Amino acid sequence: MKGRLILAAVVIPLGIIIAAVPENTTKPYKLTAEELLSEVKEGTQFMTPDAVAQLMVEKDPSLQLIDVRSSHEFEKFSLPGAINIPLENLLSAEYEDILNQDVKVNVFYSNSSNVANQAWMITRQLGYQNNYVLEGGLNYWAETIMNPQKPAATSPNEEMARYNFRQGASAALGGASVEQAAAPESKAAAVPAVKAQKKKKSVQGGC
Amino acid sequence: MGPLVANEIISPDTNLFLAFLIGIGFGFVLESNGFSSSRRLAGMFYGYDTTVLKVFFTAAITGMLGLLFMSLFGWIDLSLIYINPTYLWSAIGGGVIMGVGFILGGYCPGTSFCAASIGKLDALAFIGGIFLGVLLFTEAYPLWENFFNAKYLGSPLLSSVLGLSRGVMTLLIILVALGMFWVGEWAEKRFARDDYKLNQK
Repeated sequence: MKGRLILAAVVIPLGIIIAAVPENTTKPYKLTAEELLSEVKEGTQFMTPDAVAQLMVEKDPSLQLIDVRSSHEFEKFSLPGAINIPLENLLSAEYEDILNQDVKVNVFYSNSSNVANQAWMITRQLGYQNNYVLEGGLNYWAETIMNPQKPAATSPNEEMARYNFRQGASAALGGASVEQAAAPESKAAAVPAVKAQKKKKSVQGGC
Repeated sequence: MGPLVANEIISPDTNLFLAFLIGIGFGFVLESNGFSSSRRLAGMFYGYDTTVLKVFFTAAITGMLGLLFMSLFGWIDLSLIYINPTYLWSAIGGGVIMGVGFILGGYCPGTSFCAASIGKLDALAFIGGIFLGVLLFTEAYPLWENFFNAKYLGSPLLSSVLGLSRGVMTLLIILVALGMFWVGEWAEKRFARDDYKLNQK
């Protein structure tokens, strides 16, 4: 009898408090500022336009281009196969499965790298993996892939190879046509591998 | 920031070790409160001892308050807590089987091991029954596979089904539980047995 009164005196006030306070729905950041800074310094989030173009030409199913500009800009021009997630909608629940996954390589792009980098930084701090940023954004993309400049005849072979690859990619992806320059086979640009994600499910239990 | 395992603050092995220590504590408390007596558990059904109800609902209330306060203080991420998915027919069928076994055998799976550890032979028989049941279930699984997987509802929460906040739901459950404790103690007096003194401290 007395025990029940003590129990009630403890749990009812606690229950009233917890009923009165708002629920804590904040999502914790998974990376510390230092960890993020070191990743930013190394620039591991960047994918060069060549690497992205390579995946696009090969029609690699693991590539997912994500346009983080406004939907208005997205409708005017977007890269083939890209989906539109405007930066302000980045945290909406409908996109969580796209951003937090371990089967695709997500590449954010905007006009320059700035907005895409912001998107990457937010998702990275939430602990999401496999998100990257198109280096230089659409501006640099147009410069390098869509309208590659023919290197000087004295340029090293790698330069020529890169030019050839860009020309091919440009033709395949609908850029301006440019004349061919003789050079050896191009080497494949470095493409990051998809990192498997540890399933964040706690252990089951029972009575 | 919890949960400790999901956020890789402790390893799964450390987790198992902690579970081992907590399990020992759990068993000790069960045994020292007479839960290794099958009469105490069967008493829940006949109404002369409602300790089981009180213990498990107190545990649930403590757990609920603890999790919500820890979430409030930012110590735990509730979205990472495992919630057992609901398969409606399995839950009902399993509940009936468990309940019948509870009354017939006088133990729940946990307390049967508790009682076996102090040498009770009926608890050993009960554990034998558990393994027989496991064997029967797994060997004949195709027979009840459809029933087992029927009516999958995901992991619904009472609070979201009723459209209440978790905190208000917790307060309601606390009030309901205290009401049940009161009814339980009334039942203990009403259905008291002369030969049963475990709850008359």
